[in-house]
Amino acid sequence: MDELLKELHELEEMMLQCMKCGTCQSDCPLYRTDGRESSVARGKISLLQSVYEGRIEDAGRILKHLDQCLLCTRCLKACPSGVKTDEIFLRGREILRKIKKLPKWQKLILKTAMEKPELMAKMAPLMHMGLKFGSKKIKDGIYRPMLPALGGRNVVEIKSEAFVKKYGGLNKAENEIMRVVFYPGCAVNLIYTEWGTAVVEVLRHFGVSVYVPETNICCGIPAASMGELEMFRNAVRANFDALAEYRDAKYIITCCPTCRYGLYEMGPKQTGAECPLEVVDILVFLEETLKVKIQSGVRGRSTIHFPCHYQDSKKELVESFVRTHTDTEYVKLDNQSCCGFAGTFSLKYYERSKGFSRSKIQEMKDKRTDKVYTPCPGCAMQLADAAAGEGLDAEVTHPVTELYEFLRKIK
Amino acid sequence: MLSKSLIAKFAEIAGKNVWTEQEDLMCYAYDASFGEMCVPEIVVKPETTEQVCSIVKLCCEESIPLVTRGAGTNLSGGTLPVNGGCVLLTTGLNKILEINTEDMYAVVQSGVVTSDLALAVSAKGLLYPPDPGSMKMSTIGGNVAENAGGLRALKYGVTGDYVMGTKFFDMEGNAVISGGKTVKMVTGFNLSGLMVSSEGLLGVMTEHTLKLVPQPQSSRSMLVIYDDLMKASVTVSEIIGARITPATLELMDRFTIKTVEEAAKIGLPTDADGLLLIEVDGHPAAVEDEYAKVKSICEKQGGKVHVAETPEERDRLWEARRKALSSLARLKPTLILEDATVPRSRIPEMMQCIKDITSKYSLTVGTFGHAGDGNLHPTILTDKRNTEEMLRVEKAIDEIFASALKLEGTISGEHGIGSAKAKYLESEVGAGTIRFMKKLKNGLDPKNLLNPHKMGL
Ligand SMILES: Cc1cc2nc3c(=O)[nH]c(=O)nc-3n(C[C@H](O)[C@H](O)[C@H](O)COP(=O)(O)OP(=O)(O)OC[C@H]3O[C@@H](n4cnc5c(N)ncnc54)[C@H](O)[C@@H]3O)c2cc1C
Ligand code: SF4
Ligand code: SF4
Repeated sequence: MDELLKELHELEEMMLQCMKCGTCQSDCPLYRTDGRESSVARGKISLLQSVYEGRIEDAGRILKHLDQCLLCTRCLKACPSGVKTDEIFLRGREILRKIKKLPKWQKLILKTAMEKPELMAKMAPLMHMGLKFGSKKIKDGIYRPMLPALGGRNVVEIKSEAFVKKYGGLNKAENEIMRVVFYPGCAVNLIYTEWGTAVVEVLRHFGVSVYVPETNICCGIPAASMGELEMFRNAVRANFDALAEYRDAKYIITCCPTCRYGLYEMGPKQTGAECPLEVVDILVFLEETLKVKIQSGVRGRSTIHFPCHYQDSKKELVESFVRTHTDTEYVKLDNQSCCGFAGTFSLKYYERSKGFSRSKIQEMKDKRTDKVYTPCPGCAMQLADAAAGEGLDAEVTHPVTELYEFLRKIK
Repeated sequence: MLSKSLIAKFAEIAGKNVWTEQEDLMCYAYDASFGEMCVPEIVVKPETTEQVCSIVKLCCEESIPLVTRGAGTNLSGGTLPVNGGCVLLTTGLNKILEINTEDMYAVVQSGVVTSDLALAVSAKGLLYPPDPGSMKMSTIGGNVAENAGGLRALKYGVTGDYVMGTKFFDMEGNAVISGGKTVKMVTGFNLSGLMVSSEGLLGVMTEHTLKLVPQPQSSRSMLVIYDDLMKASVTVSEIIGARITPATLELMDRFTIKTVEEAAKIGLPTDADGLLLIEVDGHPAAVEDEYAKVKSICEKQGGKVHVAETPEERDRLWEARRKALSSLARLKPTLILEDATVPRSRIPEMMQCIKDITSKYSLTVGTFGHAGDGNLHPTILTDKRNTEEMLRVEKAIDEIFASALKLEGTISGEHGIGSAKAKYLESEVGAGTIRFMKKLKNGLDPKNLLNPHKMGL
């Protein structure tokens, strides 16, 4: 316990920065749904302070409040006092986790995902089979599991062949102008493999050769969000080592903003190590570095959901990408709150997380959009579940897949 | 600690929305004021007015102190449960019940967030003018209870000017209705007026009828930069003296400008000594006329005038002003914001007093505020762990208030008295006033259960 207090004290300086002004209330998705201080950053900081100031003896009890945080970083962006809420909550979870152990099943999944990435890929066909037997296909690529334990969540198909298995190695472009590494992340590696294909093929089309690591090492954010910061740090270091091997690559490209956040923002802060290359989102890379100019030909009404960890400064770029590279009529989605997926949040608090995505689907229904773009696989899974659950026949995809479709057609 | 059977009674009323666990109570032991934590014994979040009524009655019968809490953003310790007891959250009463565009009023529950109302009203082409810097989080009930002012207060007035009616429960749980939907109404005492600035001491409000106004047809915002803060202060009195009433007339000193810029990165001139943010609005012709006059007054005082060309630019300017307070909090662990207000012609004198006091006690102070209505926010940056400095801070605050009163001002322009300023109240209003307020409070709440000790009552 003394050890714990000492560690919490290290957070003191960061937490003292919080003047309890309450500005973080305005954007916190949890607070907006329940109006309770224990949901919002100000409350969570007070709880941590109460532990080290001795007003709460049983520190384990506040873990559930920290645990419910989506780590969406909205409070971080809103806080005018510059309180590093993301660092406080990650460290806070780690410290408290030491008292309260992670449930066994969560630990097992984590360990496999973090420490045995090859195994994950090898298990893909098995999971694929399991899904086929244990669920009912309700739509292309979407299954409703028959096991009640899964809470009726509609899941996106797990592919029988992992993305890195097919694309691992160097994917050379004709007339090569540059080489990059594509970091697919777990979701693209096992679930949205077609996004990975689109990224690699679009880049090749524009003369960029793409290295795909033979093994996908998880970015570690799921572990961090469960309070296993050391596991996260190990994953980050392993990734940095592996990525440093690509000496002639100029950038690391990703199509998952959470992976980018993990490797490029939180990773260096937590490990002190530097990412060997700049990590750039695929859309940002296409627009800013390659400056692609193409008008594709899709029809319908589309909208965009912005992931929490997408760089705020690049949101307009995504809108302009959708406007110029798809032929859809773009309608703004007003509700840009977190989709509710939030790493492991939706696994642990499915009912609550469903509320967030459901309200978005409602707005899409009202606005008669039949397509929602999101540059994040986590959000895509959550939105796909909500759309299926709410009976909206909408397609959920990454904007880069449109560009790929278009290039394929004109070839 | 409340007994199990009492807790069960609360649960009977509010179901799941009752919390007594230590960790839940800790979350209501503070507000945005600088003060020691005070822990309540129970927290309830009613979702209907019936539930509010029952909770009030229960507290009354069982002699449980009752503190009503909106967003807890007040800066005067108004929601600190000094005597423990029950914190009643209004965030569950968050419905906009009606927006009437013909008769121009809105009926809302007390827990509605101010900016949610403002947005809903503007979508219908009307304006709800009160816009406290905290509007994105504060509640209407909290605004009424504190009589919150805002950036537009100079021309449009403060929350109290928009309250047409209020429904509340007194401490016995009687439903009290005051005012309503007509522009004129003189039925009985002006009880909704009494609830304005009541700081949760006289009743628990549940519903408000609020006056709306037409949106101004046009507006112009400008940022005026000065190399001498005193010239900015003089400009303020000159604009007012020239019989022009801008919608907004805000002032920031060098220190605040620098901090806001560091926090918000919106391109404020960090080498300026002071700046004014001015907005004139109304009929397009009047706006052009007033804009030209204001501009020439500013320039006469050596101000450099930049006009916001686009709505986005304008929004950025206001955003900067709204963030002033919390941006200052970046610099030091403890921030104490004061609320000294003087008749606006005396702004230059007050600015000078603040400057003198700051250097006398060698403190770090950023000053910004609603200069147009004489409402300044000298904000002291310190560290509460530094006991020696805290003594100087206390003395400085005493002197700031004394100066404001000497200049015929007030100890609170908009943040209320709460627990933070209770000790100064008598020096402004005199012993007779305090006695009157005590009798009023005693008559309505003989056991002194409603937000006890606030305002020294
Ligand atoms: C960053 C920041 C900027 C601010 N800017 C301004 C500003 O520009 N102008 C300004 O005037 N203030 C400002 N404030 C102060 C504060 O936001 C206001 O006082 C606001 O009105 C408080 O609203 P609230 O909902 O947070 O009320 P709370 O803080 O929860 O409560 C305030 C008081 O009202 C009482 N109360 C609340 N609801 C009810 C109810 N339904 N019935 C009876 N009593 C009730 C409480 O008991 C308490 O005494 C600012 C605060 C911050 C942190
Ligand atoms: S916005 Fe920042 S300073 Fe204000 S209460 Fe939230 S975390 Fe604290
Ligand atoms: S990270 Fe998101 S969910 Fe967590 S406290 Fe901040 S705003 Fe709320």
